[in-house]
Amino acid sequence: MMPVPDLIPALPELFLAVAAMVLMMVGVFRADRTSAVVSWLAVLALIVDLVLINRGPLARTVTFNGMFVTEQFAIFMKSLIVVGSAVSIVMARQYNERNRVDRFEFPILILFATIGMQAMVSANDLISLYIGLELQSLSLYVLAAFKRDTVRSTEAGLKYFVLGALSSGMLLFGASLIYGFAGSTNFDQLAKVLSSEAGLGSIGLIIGVVFLSVGLAFKCSAVPFHMWTPDVYEGAPTPVTGFFAVAPKIAALSLFLRVMIEPFGHLVHQWQQIIWAISLASMVLGAYAAISQSNIKRLMAYSSIGHVGYALIGLAAGSAEGVRGVMVYLAVYLVMNLGAFSVILCMERRGESVEEISDLAGLSKSQPMTAAALAIFMFSMAGVPPLAGFVPKFIVFMAAVHAGLIWLAVLGILASVVGCYYYIRVVKLMYFDTPAEALDPTAGGNAVRFVTAVTAVIILLFILIPGPLLATAEAAAASLFQG
Amino acid sequence: MILSALAFYLFAGIAVLSGLMVITARNPVHSVLFLILAFFNAAGLFVLLGAEFLAMILVVVYVGAVAVLFLFVVMMLDINFAALRRGIRQHLALGLAVGIVLLAELVIVVGAWAVAPEVAAHTAPIVNSAVTATNTQALGAILYTRYIYAFEGSGLILLVAMIGAIVLTHRARAGVRRQVISKQISRSRAETIEVVKVPTGHGI
Amino acid sequence: MATAIVFLPLIAAIIVGLFGRTLGDRASQLITTGAVLVSAILSVLVFKDVALDHHTSTVTLLKWIDTGPLTVDWAIRLDTLTAVMLLVVNGVSSMVHVYSIGYMSHDHSKPRFMAYLSLFTFAMLMLVTADNLVQMFFGWEGVGVASYLLIGFWYDRPSANAAAIKAFVVNRVGDFGFSLGIFATFFMFGTLQFDQVFAAVPGAVGKTFEFLGYHVDALTCTSILLFIGAMGKSAQLGLHTWLPDAMEGPTPVSALIHAATMVTAGVFMLCRLSPMLEYSQDALNVVVVIGGTTAIFAASVGMAQNDIKRVIAYSTCSQLGYMFFAAGVSAYPAAMFHLATHASFKALLFLGAGSVIHAMSGEQDMRKMGGLWKLIPVTYVLMWIGNLALAGIPPFAGYFSKDAILEAAYAAGTPVGYYAYWLGIAAAFLTSFYSWRLLFMTFHGKSRADHHTLEHVHESPSVMVVPLVVLALGAIFAGWIGVDHFIGEDMGEFWGKSILMLDTHQGLAHRDEIPPLMSYMALIVGVAGIVLAWIFYVVSPGLPGAFTKAAKTLYEACLNKWYFDEIYDFLIVKPSMWLGWGLWKGGDGMIIDGLGPDGVAAVTRGLSRRASRLQTGYVYHYAFAMLIGVLCLVSWYLLSQR
Repeated sequence: MMPVPDLIPALPELFLAVAAMVLMMVGVFRADRTSAVVSWLAVLALIVDLVLINRGPLARTVTFNGMFVTEQFAIFMKSLIVVGSAVSIVMARQYNERNRVDRFEFPILILFATIGMQAMVSANDLISLYIGLELQSLSLYVLAAFKRDTVRSTEAGLKYFVLGALSSGMLLFGASLIYGFAGSTNFDQLAKVLSSEAGLGSIGLIIGVVFLSVGLAFKCSAVPFHMWTPDVYEGAPTPVTGFFAVAPKIAALSLFLRVMIEPFGHLVHQWQQIIWAISLASMVLGAYAAISQSNIKRLMAYSSIGHVGYALIGLAAGSAEGVRGVMVYLAVYLVMNLGAFSVILCMERRGESVEEISDLAGLSKSQPMTAAALAIFMFSMAGVPPLAGFVPKFIVFMAAVHAGLIWLAVLGILASVVGCYYYIRVVKLMYFDTPAEALDPTAGGNAVRFVTAVTAVIILLFILIPGPLLATAEAAAASLFQG
Repeated sequence: MILSALAFYLFAGIAVLSGLMVITARNPVHSVLFLILAFFNAAGLFVLLGAEFLAMILVVVYVGAVAVLFLFVVMMLDINFAALRRGIRQHLALGLAVGIVLLAELVIVVGAWAVAPEVAAHTAPIVNSAVTATNTQALGAILYTRYIYAFEGSGLILLVAMIGAIVLTHRARAGVRRQVISKQISRSRAETIEVVKVPTGHGI
Repeated sequence: MATAIVFLPLIAAIIVGLFGRTLGDRASQLITTGAVLVSAILSVLVFKDVALDHHTSTVTLLKWIDTGPLTVDWAIRLDTLTAVMLLVVNGVSSMVHVYSIGYMSHDHSKPRFMAYLSLFTFAMLMLVTADNLVQMFFGWEGVGVASYLLIGFWYDRPSANAAAIKAFVVNRVGDFGFSLGIFATFFMFGTLQFDQVFAAVPGAVGKTFEFLGYHVDALTCTSILLFIGAMGKSAQLGLHTWLPDAMEGPTPVSALIHAATMVTAGVFMLCRLSPMLEYSQDALNVVVVIGGTTAIFAASVGMAQNDIKRVIAYSTCSQLGYMFFAAGVSAYPAAMFHLATHASFKALLFLGAGSVIHAMSGEQDMRKMGGLWKLIPVTYVLMWIGNLALAGIPPFAGYFSKDAILEAAYAAGTPVGYYAYWLGIAAAFLTSFYSWRLLFMTFHGKSRADHHTLEHVHESPSVMVVPLVVLALGAIFAGWIGVDHFIGEDMGEFWGKSILMLDTHQGLAHRDEIPPLMSYMALIVGVAGIVLAWIFYVVSPGLPGAFTKAAKTLYEACLNKWYFDEIYDFLIVKPSMWLGWGLWKGGDGMIIDGLGPDGVAAVTRGLSRRASRLQTGYVYHYAFAMLIGVLCLVSWYLLSQR
């Protein structure tokens, strides 16, 4: 008989799974105010989860017969994901109440999605990769359609589901090709096989990696597998969009990093070309397509496509420096996006949510603090120093230059110049245009306003104490290259 | 050996053909029926490989549940498939071109399949077939030990699927009479039956 | 002390320039005038110390540029040449400052004017005290800027703005030559410091540049490039067109900048560079020809002008021609001497003309004057003194310096020397003719002004007359005071090492040996010119009209400045305008903007629209896009592997 596997490395996931199921029971059997109670309990569970993650083993630990791995890299990424999830639940409270979608399944689904994302980050086998990915995706499909009484939300969920299934199919096809040509699904075994000459030369394996990358690129909405993003972002309820913009992106990118660096690290010269192409395409399309958007959620969708492009530069570099750049990028991206969506959640007029960019006109007059915060986020996303958004861009560009990808860096910088246009257009609207009818000054509620304030301060002052984050990211990036 | 080869080509050929029919059939009900045929052939392929448990599961789950569900859905929803197919002609050429090129490339790739000697070491069976007699036993032995993580993870996925289905479709309708068994059971005679004295010969 | 001389005007300019409005008119005038007066007094002391007692020195202020092989300091070089210039610049400048208090009394922005004047003085001092070519260039450009600001001082007049721009642009042409000369000097000698350059010059004789396949004598080329700079600043033939137009500025500006100091910077430069020029006979010959031609050309134009200031402006141009050909025949001391005397009498003439204009309520056309001598007798007398000095009538200052120049040119004995001599004699005749023409038309005969103007004619206030008197004293006495030191027996000792004249170029020393007729020629034609003017404009006023009819072409040519402006307009300005227009509309507007900012923006918008049109909303389109993406990636790998 086989011994019971070591459960300690997977403790956070186990805890969260149990917590999610317990909360579901609470939700089912409690009579009144269930969703509020379940939401706050879910936040509590995520906080405990965060603590457990950070108390886990620092050294690389593999369990469940090589299916699950954890190290500093996983700890870093999971922490970001958990923070993103928790803040999303908090921010969704008031929106859900006002839009009559205040159901206790919402936080539960976010918890399940979070478990899936954590499983993705810790995947050390193509099977566990796929299971984590599907757990996450399925929860997200439901969340996208959560406002089931509106056509757009349902449409968003359906589109996401159909295209997600297609991408899953491709990913599975890639995985089966890889299994067929390498004889294993385990990352460590794959790395071992590929370190030999015979493994490297196999074209089938490379095509398998291509299909796998396509599936992953879909999940982090890189061009040309991004098409779902604007529609889903626009259609999904705003708190869900905010959640989509942060946590799943982080999970998908960390999975991308792990898959490319760990099992296929020896194929770096092969996959570098794919990443190069989709990174550039994402940056360019993100920058150009965003310009003619009028809906702020669509704008954020293209913005996130562009940001994924920049983050992928770090992966294209294929070095520890590049990975570190991606990690810092994701950390800063998380904070910027939470901040921006907290402001978008505050966009209400006479009690109704509004989503047009032009609704922000003259915000600096009616709500100067909110406008200032959004201006900070926009400038930071555009990468204007000394705001936080500048630092990771700088790191990934430097990594690209050091890796010899000078053209990618140059084109990336050009794309970010184009990107500046639409970010700064928002600022211009708020500060220089004649005000539309003023937005409700108290919309969003205290929790959301608090998120806005905290994220704005972090973005503003990050440049003063970047050390801890940079050092942690460096150690975490190094841990990925040990295995 | 010749017999098994013949059987393989039979099953495989019918599977591919019926797959083709699934997407080309005009009547959606026919499509589903061809799908079922494809499932049966796939099950036959499993049997040829000696995986009789998987073959049975495929028939039970896919044919017995999934495909029949599809059939119900197709028949209950009045979808105008002709309208859906209207645009197909203008996209047909391009779609075919892309499909054929992709297929050709994949054939090239798979055609170059060769297992490296290092790889062969990993492909050895995980479970010693001499120890466990049946398929079912062998699967059971590894499912809850070696693949416990994947198994439990799949369980979570199914749970989410269930929650999702309920969240998206369940509504509490007003004015629907439900059977509440505890209420039925706990009814006392007093609230159900009223004994009325009826004078004889008068009626109620 | 030298530092104080240079920087006092700058300090005054900064104070008045920045705080002029707060300080008020009176304080501004006092600060600037005071500063320049102190500078002038100090200049006298420096002159005595350096020029008479021969205490030459160089004061290094601080390091300016230090980039590998190129080292340039801010330094004040004090030798006789500098001392003379300090005296001239500060002397005239202080008088002009004082004069301006009166002349500009009706103007609204006196502090600005005074600040510009002081700024100019500083830049000019920087130029003359320079110890290297770069510092000289700094001062050179500084005076250019100040000149631009002062010509365009009345910026509400379009003509003043046009004149200011013209002066600046024409000077740029010269400055371009100057800067090329600086580059060439650095290229040849590896240094720009005067002493080091001059020490290296004798070794560089005969070296050549290769330029477009031609072998060009390096020293000649460098000298001519530097000379082009001098031509621009000193309004020599070809680059002279800005000077008459510069008369749009206030009259004190004309006196200070466009007569006494800035325009003589070119002459000063040639003298400063005498150790270099001496070794290039070709360059010297060019200088002589340009100078001599300018002298006669400008004098001929001066004869036909009616604007009182323009007459004097062409006169200045002509006198600068004298100085240039003096330098060209190696008579640098004579050039400097004429520079000094000319500064005093030309400033006197300009300020006198200013006094006339002031009296006539701004009228500058001589045809509307006449008979003024009774109304403004002091100015009349002072103008006489100035004219006598200009015409070279003994014992006035001009006699000594101009005679020396002409004699030196004859004594040089070269063909270009004779060329310059005869043209100079002719120019001297014309000079005295137009000078007295000016005098007679302005002060004699019947008044042609309307009586409204005549009623207001008044003698200028003493704050304007006193500077005139001081300058008149200079015009009378400067000649025979300075003659011994500047060009007489003490010449060698006086100039010391600041001027180099090779033994083969000793025309100035041998000027006593020329035939007596030749040396009296200048005086004879001068008197003849006066007499002719007297006949034309006093005895029989009908003659000029008859004469102009008889020699219509000649007169028209003179009146229209030999069509220089028209030729330039046709050859340079119009084509430049066309080119500029073409480059603006075609090159910049269509190509640069079209492909650059505008084009990029348009392309960006177009791409953006197209990119968002990709988003059709149909799931199968999205799926198809994904498939195409996959297809591309797979094909890419298959093709790159094979």
